[in-house]
Amino acid sequence: MADHPANGLDDVVHQRVRLGIMAIAHQARQVEFGFLRTTLQLTAGNLGQHLTVLEKAELIQIEKGYEGKRPRTWVTLTAAGQAALRDEIAHLKQLIQQVEQTETPPTADQ
Amino acid sequence: MTDEPVPQTDSPRELLAAVHALTRRVRVAQRGTWFPLLVFATITLVAIPVYRYVPYLDVFGTCRSRPGHTVCTAPNPAELGYWTVALLFAYAAIAAFYVRQSRRRGVGTPIRPYVVVGVALAVLMTAVSIWLTFHPLLPQPADPFSTDPMQIEVGPAGWIINGLASPLAVIGLALLVLAWVERHWALLAYTLAYLAIGMVQGNQIIHSSSPWFFLPHLLVPAAVLLLGAAAFALFRPTAEVRP
Repeated sequence: MADHPANGLDDVVHQRVRLGIMAIAHQARQVEFGFLRTTLQLTAGNLGQHLTVLEKAELIQIEKGYEGKRPRTWVTLTAAGQAALRDEIAHLKQLIQQVEQTETPPTADQ
Repeated sequence: MTDEPVPQTDSPRELLAAVHALTRRVRVAQRGTWFPLLVFATITLVAIPVYRYVPYLDVFGTCRSRPGHTVCTAPNPAELGYWTVALLFAYAAIAAFYVRQSRRRGVGTPIRPYVVVGVALAVLMTAVSIWLTFHPLLPQPADPFSTDPMQIEVGPAGWIINGLASPLAVIGLALLVLAWVERHWALLAYTLAYLAIGMVQGNQIIHSSSPWFFLPHLLVPAAVLLLGAAAFALFRPTAEVRP
């Protein structure tokens, strides 16, 4: 029997906020803390916790610096992060496909 | 576009929908379409006094003279020099604009492919124009001083080569890349319309002795670019406007 797609989901990535962070970082290449906070509508503390989880898993890279006198934190997806995002999306698509096949009503001749 | 938060559920379908919505939101925040159009409209308008007042520089030796009369078989090389320099400066300004916007909005920019293709096309335009000076596609009259209008027929290959030598076509071709990097359907439609107008206009030959005969060839694309810049600036989504 083929492995169920749900078994391939990574708990670190398969969490809506962290998946959101990774999706944004993938499209933006580099994204600033403030943009993530506004877009995902999170508090700074909450976002910081999710970023720490992703950084520990080496899925993102965090760079801190200054622009003028303003402190800025930039987030970049690592190569492992790109691969993890790709895998997560593939697994989600497989899950949806599997659910759709299960939900298909039986035809008259079955 | 809306500013709805990410759905509070972990269903695969909603997670995927959220990923797509966030991707679209980032793309909108990365756009700055009006600026390149404004820059290109400006350099097209600045080309008008260059075409009119810069004296012919016969660097390629294409002019033939007889007493009181000089005929040159190629466009003024000063115009080519202007476009090469202006396009390179334009792409430098566009790159600087997008980088600055990226820092201000806190989201990276995917502009590099556009700038690289734009600069490559500008260099190609210069090379093709110089090549065409020595290998003209159109038959040259035996008597360069003849004033008889010639029948001109250019095949598809000639169209492509002439297009690559045209600064306004080169701007349009690079805009197709911008439409792709910004995933911007409105810009794609606009660029196709711009290129179509350029093709129709390029087919028109102006028989005139006026020193301003070139004016429609510059004013029409400049007006189209200005209108495009204004439209994209006015109708940009709120996420694009918000710093």
